[in-house]
Amino acid sequence: MTPKVERLVNLTVALLEARVPLTLAELKRRTGYYASGDPASARRMFERDKDELRRLGVPVETRTVPHSDEQGYLVPRGRYELPDVDLTGEEVAALALAVRLTGTQGTPLALAKLAARAPEAPDLAATPTTRVELRADPVDAVADAVVQRVPVRFTYRRADGGEATRTVDPYGVVQRRAAWYLVARDHDRDAVRAFRLDRMRDVPVAVADAGSFEPPDDLDIADAVSGPQDPGVEVELAVQPRASWALAIRGGQDTGERTPDGRAIWTLPGLHPVRDRSFLLGLGPDVEVRAPETLRQAVIDALTTVAAGADAEVRR
Amino acid sequence: MSAPDDVARMLTLVPWVLHRPGASHAEIADAFGVDVATVRRDLEHLDFCGLPGLGGGDLFEVTTVGDRVVLRMADELARPLRPTAREAMRLVLTVDAVADLLDEELPALRSAVTKVRAALDIPESTADVVGSDGPGTRSTLRDAVRDGRRVRLAYQGRTDPEPMDREVDPWALHVVDGSWYLQGHDHGADDRRTFRLDRIASVEATETPVRVLAPDHLEPPRYVPGDDDLVVVLDVSPRGRWLEDALAVDAVEEQEGGGARLELRTDAPGWLARLVLMAAGEATVVSPPSLAEEVAATAQAALAWYEPDAAAW
Repeated sequence: MTPKVERLVNLTVALLEARVPLTLAELKRRTGYYASGDPASARRMFERDKDELRRLGVPVETRTVPHSDEQGYLVPRGRYELPDVDLTGEEVAALALAVRLTGTQGTPLALAKLAARAPEAPDLAATPTTRVELRADPVDAVADAVVQRVPVRFTYRRADGGEATRTVDPYGVVQRRAAWYLVARDHDRDAVRAFRLDRMRDVPVAVADAGSFEPPDDLDIADAVSGPQDPGVEVELAVQPRASWALAIRGGQDTGERTPDGRAIWTLPGLHPVRDRSFLLGLGPDVEVRAPETLRQAVIDALTTVAAGADAEVRR
Repeated sequence: MSAPDDVARMLTLVPWVLHRPGASHAEIADAFGVDVATVRRDLEHLDFCGLPGLGGGDLFEVTTVGDRVVLRMADELARPLRPTAREAMRLVLTVDAVADLLDEELPALRSAVTKVRAALDIPESTADVVGSDGPGTRSTLRDAVRDGRRVRLAYQGRTDPEPMDREVDPWALHVVDGSWYLQGHDHGADDRRTFRLDRIASVEATETPVRVLAPDHLEPPRYVPGDDDLVVVLDVSPRGRWLEDALAVDAVEEQEGGGARLELRTDAPGWLARLVLMAAGEATVVSPPSLAEEVAATAQAALAWYEPDAAAW
């Protein structure tokens, strides 16, 4: 019996070469496969092969055979073939290095497809100074839906811990600060939202056909995950010397002024109310927030909560 | 590897080898990210592929001399199959992430990414990586790695009260899911060390050439727990679950309401106490009691600045 891999390659070739849709009987005649056993199991074997090829991206189309009412199959060459990509040898070499740097995550096969007919890649002399590790596998769950514009539904763990069902038009995928997000239009709220892929509790399922929506032209998916930015706020801090480096690498400035007890007064460009609070809390007693008043109060409230909560925990 | 993966590779291998008559097994293996044995097996199968029903004349012709391969009679597969949506997304996202970091070292990558995005129809509006430029120390360190020069760091170690001076032979920068690390040989410790760039207070390049070279295969940085690490249990609320990403957690136990109980090990309780503080009440220390006390004491010490009599002076 022919090994399965050979049968699948040969089926692909036969369907690519077909000028008109081929019935299963015609495929049998041309390939010699699906001939043994009873017709029903031969049909099941063919259906399984066809589905596997489709999963690999081979566009097997089902059509009515002209002048008959029988079903036939073919693979349109234009949908199968990747048109030549106009890459230079240097570009191929750079891509190969980038794929190697990120391990298997970048899928060497995809690059081999793109570079199949490209010029020879020269050897790169220099070893790159920077390595990159990026886990791209979470993207698989939504890649088809994004590329084919299929509205999907999934169960989502909200920030407050509850679960909710979301139905969305998936516009795009963004990686930011170690997290993957799906930027999508939420049908129920009729608004663009960012959903963390690791908070999806199930695999998104299609709820409508491919091509059911058109993303807005002016959408910036990177902006959509950045959240509210408020760069206008300037934070004023009283700082102990040992914490000054942490502020300096965040763009803080020593104003040269001192508090009556001798601590340096720094200013820091505020970025985000919650993240600023978190960063400053992490500096503990090394900083005092002097302004803005809202941030000062938020830090006081958080410190009070932690001091009390930790107390309760110790007593228990 | 499963049969479908093998088929996807073989359908690509045909145009790849047709375009490069005389390619070696090793070159093919390298391009497809598989071993040489897999390439040999693929080629054996391909010798039986083509259109079998019409007789031997319609099969592909694989000729191997030594380890060099020539493929004929395979024009039916002269062009590669289009990448799937998943392959396209992964490829674009990973090469774009690298392009953001290696702009200056690999200028060809930027133009390549633009062409790949166009060919695969994955514009920035459907897939993007928001890179951080990295801290300001990055360019000095990158130049030192490239030129093989020792650097002098002021580094805030997790167990140090303030930044300490270190002399380091820098090997490579590493970006792991958006966080920056330097790996190299620390001359003070006389051992390899990993430094987080966001804890480098200052860096100074020296003229001293690197003495201890990087190993051939440099693994990405990982936290390796030590024998005398403290075992810590934390409860986090749903809003405190970012701590799971920030820490190397050994076990996660889901709790009612969306929170979780985390178990982890640390060699730096003081640093962990600050992280718990950052969670602003969304994380509490279950054990050990000493860490819970340290968190409370740190919060109370910070609070002292805000008490009325403190503000008065």
